Amino acid sequence: MKIPALVSKNIIAVLTIFLSLGLHSGIAMSDDSHEEADVSRGARAWANNCTRCHNLREPVEFRDDLWKPIVTHMRIRAGLTGKETRDIIVFLQASNSIRPISSVKPASSPGQGSGKTAIKENSGKEIYQQTCIACHGADGKGVLPGAPNLTDKSGPFSKSDSELLRNIVQGYQGPTSPMAMPPKGGNPELTREDMKRVLAFMRKEFGN
Amino acid sequence: MSTAFSDHKKGILFISGVLGLMMIYSSVNAAEDVQALKNEIEILRQEMAELRKLVKQQVQQVRATNKQDMAKLRKDVAQTTDVHSEWKGANSAVHLAGYGTVGYTDQESSDGSFNTLSFNPIFHYQYKDLFMLEAELEIETEGDGGTAVELEYASIDWLINDYVALVAGKFLSPLGQFRQNIHPGWVNKLASAPPGFGHDGAAPLSELGVQLRGGYMFENHMRTNYAFYVGNGPELESEDGEVHGITAEAFRRDADGNPVWGGRVGFLPVANFEIGVSGATGKARVTTDEALGLIASDPARSYSAFGVDMVYTRKALNLRYEYIRQRVANKSASVIAPMGGTWRAWYAQAAYRFPSTKWEAVARYTDYNSPHAGQEQEQVAAGVNYWFAGNAVAKVTYESNSGLSGTTTDRDRFLVQLSYGF
Repeated sequence: MKIPALVSKNIIAVLTIFLSLGLHSGIAMSDDSHEEADVSRGARAWANNCTRCHNLREPVEFRDDLWKPIVTHMRIRAGLTGKETRDIIVFLQASNSIRPISSVKPASSPGQGSGKTAIKENSGKEIYQQTCIACHGADGKGVLPGAPNLTDKSGPFSKSDSELLRNIVQGYQGPTSPMAMPPKGGNPELTREDMKRVLAFMRKEFGN
Repeated sequence: MSTAFSDHKKGILFISGVLGLMMIYSSVNAAEDVQALKNEIEILRQEMAELRKLVKQQVQQVRATNKQDMAKLRKDVAQTTDVHSEWKGANSAVHLAGYGTVGYTDQESSDGSFNTLSFNPIFHYQYKDLFMLEAELEIETEGDGGTAVELEYASIDWLINDYVALVAGKFLSPLGQFRQNIHPGWVNKLASAPPGFGHDGAAPLSELGVQLRGGYMFENHMRTNYAFYVGNGPELESEDGEVHGITAEAFRRDADGNPVWGGRVGFLPVANFEIGVSGATGKARVTTDEALGLIASDPARSYSAFGVDMVYTRKALNLRYEYIRQRVANKSASVIAPMGGTWRAWYAQAAYRFPSTKWEAVARYTDYNSPHAGQEQEQVAAGVNYWFAGNAVAKVTYESNSGLSGTTTDRDRFLVQLSYGF
């Protein structure tokens, strides 16, 4: 009877300490839970954390509803923060569905106008933001391991448009990259004209 | 003259008569044709009217059908959207994950055999962003053809906030990296675990208790992760008056009455490099002796564990190092096994994925030290992997083993393995 009492005391003490720590942490550091999840941050967190232990699992491998428990499991296993977990989930959920270009929202930046004209004029940018930004990043420098720096003078834009267009259409894996860019950047809905427009946008934005 | 004229006149009259009769006859026929035509036109008009009426009815019918179809379609789409929203926004989520491995091993001085067959289903049940129940079974075929089922882990995880989760139940030991993250067949880049990191080796396998786990990212993108736990702790096996091994698997009892405390802190100064330090302390006692069986009473002795692990990734290169040590102190009061001992193991591994291919080369060196010569092993292993996908791999591994002469630890092995994680 003496030993169980001792064990009980220990367990109660342990739980008290743990819960105190947890609740204290909860009060002190819960601000991030209100911050909106971000696809670009998620892409970076996904690539940085997952590859330490295993190969990257393709976003298209699972549906939106399945990615949530999977990434939550990995949160526990890999010591991710809640914010990183939410970012990775929205990135995977955004990357596993193929949305037609017609669903791209028109640009709403001041001075750019709106409606059909804006869509037409900014389609290259819109396509980039929809399909390419998760891996290549907003600044074109790449957010995933192996994603090339598009602003590099000796980088992809040292190649001709016809070669780059072929790479976009067929998919491409650089000689030192651990992962490949899928055909059409993973968006089979892209037409040849869409790809030409996004290529023109990228060359103008990142090319030298 | 008058006779000739009269004849001529008669002829003219005759001809005129004939012509008159012909004209009368013709006019009678024309009137009949006109009437017939009029009749036909009237019939056609009636048919046309009927056709118009029919077409109008059909158009109205088609329009009505289309309207109904469209209404039904809209309803279906709305329902489908609702269903989609339902599963996407459901409070509870269920997912079945896991992995399976099959393998062939050819060991020096023995016949080769298909000796690996395991199936590890993992169940995930999540309620909101608050709780997750996760459990893994290990189902393996045994040497005699039987099937062994073990609970690898089962825990309820309470996601307290963004930085802390409380994990209660049976969990994989958070000491080091291999046991908690690397051991699944589709993750481990070689077909075998490094010596000392398996059962009854230098690395603890699992624990029953509670732990706090989480991570934190600093402003400068450096990050840390941690796991602190308290559990029932390991038990000791003895043989020939010596502690023969530390069974560091989750027990549903605390034989020595003292919980074991431990944990690991990982630090990532940059995203592709992690260094971790692990440690545990507590007490353990001998509970099983090879000759005597279960030992009801033996004094508790000090138990400790210490580990260091590192991982570095750069493009297609993956480097990994891990050191782990478990120690139990001497206990002169023990009549079963007064001497303690130290079990330690370390390995260094390099893997390189050839660019633009599905091929990967792996090399690993392991050194496992034990108080018992029969357990010690030094191993150099090399392998080639073919990745069908990021989660499906065929592995060919060769192990050059050095251990006690005449024992299995001294025999080289050739392993072929197929593993799939889902």
